[in-house]
Amino acid sequence: MPIVVNLDVMMAKRKMSSQELAERVGITTANLSILKTGKAKAVRFSTLEKICDELDCQPGDILEFKRE
Amino acid sequence: MWNKDKSLFLSRILTVAAAGVAIFVAFFIPTLSEWYQYMMTVETAGILDRSSMFIPMCITLYVCDALALAALWNLHILLGNISKDQVFIPKNTSCLRRISWICIAVGAAFMIFGLWSSIFAFIGMVAVMFGLIMRVLKNVFEKAVEIKSENDFTI
Repeated sequence: MPIVVNLDVMMAKRKMSSQELAERVGITTANLSILKTGKAKAVRFSTLEKICDELDCQPGDILEFKRE
Repeated sequence: MWNKDKSLFLSRILTVAAAGVAIFVAFFIPTLSEWYQYMMTVETAGILDRSSMFIPMCITLYVCDALALAALWNLHILLGNISKDQVFIPKNTSCLRRISWICIAVGAAFMIFGLWSSIFAFIGMVAVMFGLIMRVLKNVFEKAVEIKSENDFTI
């Protein structure tokens, strides 16, 4: 998929673990793992909003479009 | 109080009972064929001679009995998955696809036997029609599995 999820990069920058982010955002670690590995088919705006809020970043820092 | 669990249990019991009937009938197929050959009326006769219908009828009934058991086994698997709350999964789609092909095969077998007894050709057409309905149901299930997968992967 041309949309790349750079969530792990952002999490590393903020020194936040998956467990902690999942708890703060209110999703399961399994779902966070799906998101991190790029297996997710869609992201709700509400989830994106919470992730950006917790990681103090912009959606563009997490999602990137790469032409195939 | 009647609820969906009881309904599912009833469906499973009926499936097992139907399988029991199918196995029971298998022992009497030659007797049934002989009886039908003797009892068949002129109106239900096909284009081939009645005297040669015993063996084709036995073969048709044995094949259809085996196919019925296969369809019931698939139904049993399907109901088992539903009871485990696994409804829209690819395994169920495969079960429906197999049932659909089994119905079409039964229809084809009956239509061939319709050469000896025309009424079986009509039964065959009904079976093929049912197979087609099952196929459409399978297509709906396939799409539902796809939608569910997309929904599951929406975070």
